[in-house]
Parts: sequence; structure tokens; C-alpha cells
Amino acid sequence: MHPQGRYRTPLLLVLTLLLVFTVLSLSLKRSPALRKVQGLVVAMTAPGLEGLSYVGRSAKQLWLGYFYLVGVRRQNAELQRQLEEFKQRGVHFQEAEQALTRLEALLDLKRQVALPVIGARVIAYDPTLWSRSAIINQGKAQGVKEGLPVLAPQGIVGRIVEVYPEYSKVMLIVDRKSSADAMIQRTRVRGMLKGKGGNRGSLEFVPKSADVQVGDLVLASGLVGLYPKGLVFGKVTAANKKNPGVFQEIEVTPSVDLSTLEEVLVVKVATLTLTEP
Amino acid sequence: MIAPLIAFSLVGLLIFYVQNLVLFPYVHLRLLALLLFYVGLRPSLSLTLALGLVLGCLQDSYATTPFGLHLGASLVLVAMARFSRRRLLLQQLGFQALAGLAALALQEVYLQLVTFMLGYQPLFSHDLIRVHGMEILGTAALGPLMHLLVQLVPDALRGLGWRPRSEPMPYRPFGE
Repeated sequence: MHPQGRYRTPLLLVLTLLLVFTVLSLSLKRSPALRKVQGLVVAMTAPGLEGLSYVGRSAKQLWLGYFYLVGVRRQNAELQRQLEEFKQRGVHFQEAEQALTRLEALLDLKRQVALPVIGARVIAYDPTLWSRSAIINQGKAQGVKEGLPVLAPQGIVGRIVEVYPEYSKVMLIVDRKSSADAMIQRTRVRGMLKGKGGNRGSLEFVPKSADVQVGDLVLASGLVGLYPKGLVFGKVTAANKKNPGVFQEIEVTPSVDLSTLEEVLVVKVATLTLTEP
Repeated sequence: MIAPLIAFSLVGLLIFYVQNLVLFPYVHLRLLALLLFYVGLRPSLSLTLALGLVLGCLQDSYATTPFGLHLGASLVLVAMARFSRRRLLLQQLGFQALAGLAALALQEVYLQLVTFMLGYQPLFSHDLIRVHGMEILGTAALGPLMHLLVQLVPDALRGLGWRPRSEPMPYRPFGE
């Protein structure tokens, strides 16, 4: 064998390992160069996805809105939207009622829910099972910044983790890296909502003595300031006190179907305005 | 190498689009990994490595996992494909599918280990194993189809006038 050929494979192996570990360590240090690479790849590939998604959506709308059931679909969508709006309002009213019963008389009940928002369309997801993220078609040019919360009509979707010139990456609340301060609406018990991958999360650090039941609503506590207080994360779908340790095992299913998102809102200010009289 | 790299990258991008727009969230398959494995069984190592980098970058850009995770996983597949090609001299589709299954399993081990080391998730978590296992089996079963697709790309390129360096120019009678 030629001496050059003899060392080719080990050399390639060493270079490859070096490359992988360099890139990984740069990524952990949040290197701007790698972010630029990511931004470039997204900027080059996302328009294709956006275009195809638009064509698919238009064809689907043409079929469903005209050929399939003219008018009925529009009416159904309007009713669905109204229902979601009333559900969300219902949660807000319950919140206000509980605040009254705790003699929070100073709190102005005219809650200013009109947050400054940017409308965005979800154009892509990470199709692998290793992370839960989505790409939206609003970026730095539209005023999107890292850390801003992203909402859907039914509740919280996630937060912005990367901003590119025309696109942004949203880490969904079920991503394994996602965590947020949350509370049970009924009992005001607080915990840390952590993503578990798939379409579920868990409310952690809740003592076994706390009253948590299946069906309880889990809301953003607003304490860390990441998500606006009172917005819905999801519902408790399982609560186990028989596990070892001092904390309960609480499974939370998001109120938003995070796999079929279409339009979302990016909240420019992550705090609700509460005016005192 | 440039023409096949562009062609296979476009095929990869198309597969990524199909996964995103059609299969997600109901069907999870590692089609890009399978594409890379079957391209790895072809003669050119440089093409496979370059395609591994392109596909790894594409997947890393859309994920929240650290950049480099899918890149490394692509290189594991390239290594497995080259090993299968040189040591096992795979010719039959069935054996290729089995080697693909082994490569995907090894890639899964790599991904589990790295995500565990980065503190991203517990090692071989029970709920993940079953889902990922099904995903890997389903992907490996599509091996023969991917083999056909990978054969189709150079044929299409040849139709456009491209020839690999190792292949002699077609005979043309002198004076034509």
C-alpha cells in the first residue's frame, strides 16, 4: 500500500472527530459564526418550504372552501374561532374571580390584555424526534428578538431562541431544553414546567402535599418574566404521588396542538399591564 | 463530484420538504440518514462526506439541539457505509437493508450518548427507545426504495451529459 494511502483512513477519522467536537464545543459557546451558518441554511431552505406550503395551502383552501362545502367551512372556522376566544376569555374571568376572592381589591380588573404583538406564520418544524422547534416567517427585520414569548389563540407555544434576518426559530414548550415557571390555576401551587419531548411536559418540584388533580389548568406564573402571567400552558393529564422522593410526578399536555400550528403571535413585551386605581 | 453533490443535496432537500410538509407530525422516518447511507455505498468517499456535511447542517439548522449533533451523526453513517462497502462487499438489497439497519442503530447510540453527555436527556430513556426503535425499523424497511432513488440520480445526470471521471467517454467515430 502506498504510504499516503495507509494513513488516509486514520487521518480522515481524526480530522472528522476534531471537526465534530470543535463544532459541538463552538455551538455550546453559542458561537456567532455557527449562528450565521444556521441563519444562512435557514435563509436558503426556508423560502422553498414557505412557497411549497403556500401552494399546498392554497390548493387545500380551494378544495375545502369552494369545491367541498361552499360557505359552511367559513362559518365553521368563524364559530371555532369564537369558541376559542370565549374559552380564553373564560380562563381570564376565572382568574379575575379568584383574584377577587383572595381580596386583591387593589388589582384593577380592567386587565389590559392588548399586548403589542407581531403576527407570524409557522413555515417549518424540526422533523426529527430530537428537539421540538418551529421556524416562523418573522425575523430581526420585523423586530423579533430572542426570548420573546410566542402564543396561539389556545395558549402558550414557546419562545424565540434564534433570530435570523427574515426568520426566527421558536423553541416549543415541550422541547427538552424548555423550562418555565408555572402554577396550577385552581390551587395556585407553583412548579417548573419542563418539556419532555413529543407533545408533553411535566410540572416539576411540586411537593406531594400540594393539591393537584387531573384536569387542572396550568398557567404561566409570570414570576420569571418569560411568559405573560395567566396565559395557559396546558392541562394536567396525570398526577402521581406514589413515586419515590418528595415531589409529585405531574404530566402536562399543552392546550395548543404544537404539531399543527399555522398562525402565531410573537409578544413584543413579556409582561401584562396591570393598572392600579 | 460537484454535479452529483448538488443533485444529491437537492434530493435531500426535497426529502426534507416532504418530511416537513407531508409526513410531520404523523410519520417519523430518518429518510435523510437512509439517503446518506446509500450514497455512502457508492464509490466516492468525498461525495459522501460532503453530502454528510450538507445534510447534517440542514438538520442542525432546524433543531434546538447543539449545532454539530446531526453533523456528527451523519459522519457516523458515512463511516458505517464505508465499512459495509469495503469489508462486507454488499451487493444484495437484503444485506444492504440489514447493514442500513445496523448503521441507523449505531447512529442512534451515538445520538443518545452525545445528547446524554450534553445533559439534554437521560441515557436510553424507556419511552424514547420504543418510538426511536420503530422509527429506525420503518426507515430501514424503505432501504430498497432508497437504493433505487440513489441509482436514479446518476442515471438522470448521465442523461444530462455528465460522466464520472472514472468512466471513459463514449466512443465517437473519428471525423464526426
